[in-house]
Amino acid sequence: MDSNTLWTIARGALNVVLVLLVAPLCQGILRKLTARIQSRQGPPVLQPYFDLLKLLGKEDIEAGEVPVVQRLVAFLSLASILTVGCLVPLGFASPLNAAGDVILLIYLLTLCSVCTLLAGLAAGSTYSLVGISREMMTMITLEPLLAAALIVGAVHANSLRLESVLAGSLYFGSGLPWSGIIMAVIILLAFQAFVQRIPFDISEAETELMEGPLMEYSGPKLALFKYTQMIKLIIYSAVFISLCVPWGGDAPYGLAFLMFWIKIFAVILLVTLVAATHARYRIDQAIRYFAAMLGTSFFALLLASYGH
Amino acid sequence: MSLMSKLKETAICLGAGRVTLPYPAETRPVPDQFRGRPIFDATRCIGCAGCANNCPAREILVFDVCQEVRILKYLGRRCTYCGRCADVCPEKAIKMSQEFENATPQIGDLHQGLELFMSTCQRCGRCFKGPSILEALKMKGYRFDDLENDRWIFRSNGYMKDPVADDIHIELD
Amino acid sequence: MLKNLCQKMFGRSLWVYHANSGGCNGCDIEVLNVLTPYYDVERFGIKLVGSPRHADVMLCQGPAMRSTAQALRRAYEAMPAPKLVFAIGSCACGGGIWFDSYPVIGPVEKVIPVNFYIPGCPPRPEAIIYGVAVALGLVDKKTAPVEFKQVELPIPQYHPSDLREGGKFVVYEKLEKV
Repeated sequence: MDSNTLWTIARGALNVVLVLLVAPLCQGILRKLTARIQSRQGPPVLQPYFDLLKLLGKEDIEAGEVPVVQRLVAFLSLASILTVGCLVPLGFASPLNAAGDVILLIYLLTLCSVCTLLAGLAAGSTYSLVGISREMMTMITLEPLLAAALIVGAVHANSLRLESVLAGSLYFGSGLPWSGIIMAVIILLAFQAFVQRIPFDISEAETELMEGPLMEYSGPKLALFKYTQMIKLIIYSAVFISLCVPWGGDAPYGLAFLMFWIKIFAVILLVTLVAATHARYRIDQAIRYFAAMLGTSFFALLLASYGH
Repeated sequence: MSLMSKLKETAICLGAGRVTLPYPAETRPVPDQFRGRPIFDATRCIGCAGCANNCPAREILVFDVCQEVRILKYLGRRCTYCGRCADVCPEKAIKMSQEFENATPQIGDLHQGLELFMSTCQRCGRCFKGPSILEALKMKGYRFDDLENDRWIFRSNGYMKDPVADDIHIELD
Repeated sequence: MLKNLCQKMFGRSLWVYHANSGGCNGCDIEVLNVLTPYYDVERFGIKLVGSPRHADVMLCQGPAMRSTAQALRRAYEAMPAPKLVFAIGSCACGGGIWFDSYPVIGPVEKVIPVNFYIPGCPPRPEAIIYGVAVALGLVDKKTAPVEFKQVELPIPQYHPSDLREGGKFVVYEKLEKV
């Protein structure tokens, strides 16, 4: 293997380690901030680390219809989201830039959501099945939104390569980029649903007293799923920022990294504020909301293909 | 669902600051007349078993070993801290303290037991006076709750059915 | 080494599952009170979860009834080891006022093994937090059994037929102890 490949592998490992270390910290800040908004002293900021370590130490009860698929799915969800972590710029250029394009990014993010569906299906209990049916309904209207945003960016940038699309390509083009602004607003409004927070965490906490698709998992497998949820927050924020809020990314090396992480914390602050002050939507209200946004995003795609 | 209402709600909650009471670090004052755990004062108890008769959870058990010795057991398990025993005690030997921090890994920790020497009459030498001399021979008033199984034995006639000594034979009706 | 770390972290983040097997809901309300901002228990890392498979601690409330004993046993067996059971309230500790009623089997410990008892009817939220703190080892427990004996058993039994005259005194010949 030549030095280029070794260097890429090292950068990929660095990305993975960075994402793994920072994700529980962001979740901890989110919980602490939610507690402060509710006028109480919350858990310590390092609490999610303790949670994950404790879950790794518990006994693993294999219950469910198909235990083999359960084992597979726990690892697959973490693996797919970490692969996305190598594809997305995290303040510096991503190591696997040349390995794929926008279609691969959309596919891997969808795979991560499909893993939740598989998780519920492999468990097979009634509450899990209800949870995944709701998750399926949400996914049908939600994944096209992200795909539409990335495609609008691709149309503006005239290529499907990741480094050109994920560099603020929504705003390319002459004149005022209407389609870019519309797509940015739509992704902002639907962001809570991507990261599975209130008001849209319908599938997994709707049967709030029974936890939805993850109901039958215990111990280490649950730790992997919880880790995946924490990492999704960072990955979707990174995609959102590099697509819609790219300014400041051209500063000299250290400053760009700092700006990026400041923007990520701003996004987390926004997510926390919305999550702490809203109530959960019912499934039909949420679908109507997403369907309206889907219609608007198709309109924006049309505009983009006509050059606006 | 307006934006301003959410911002106002956040501002109100943040304005309240942090209202969490630092509980195990600092103790909290209890209201007056708070009924915590009952404390049995054995030096004042006369062994009348009024508390046992009145307890709604049948938590106080009474057993007469012989005429002069009476064992009273308060098991803390089912006590609902209602205070009826303290209300009815003629000597005010039961005090409802203000302790509510009673958590424990062994439930036997809440047990309070009293073994009392009952005083006897100077003339007839008995603790309980029957309504007639015949009733006195039948030894009404003795209590025999089941201490091993912690059960209150409710007998509508308080007679002793087992033979008490070899040369005394009591005929029951 | 990772195993040691995981076991040390057990006390820092307890996930709690609430199981009410037939109680009056008084203790339910006190338990939910504990999760409100005043008595915030999330600062110890305790979180309420919806499924016994995710939980470490089961908070039992209400006596074990004939109809729910089976469900309680299955929820206990669904929890992954290591696990703790807290019995909250007089009904779960000893059967409560209803201990001899027709649908009640008895205290919760007749169905599942209990680790900590928090008596009260209902226990104050501070009492529940105190119980959790005793379980985590932050404070010491404050109760101990009390025994008071005014007389030493066995006491001697005297019978009139054993009396005999002996000078100025009446002497008992045979001493039997009861």
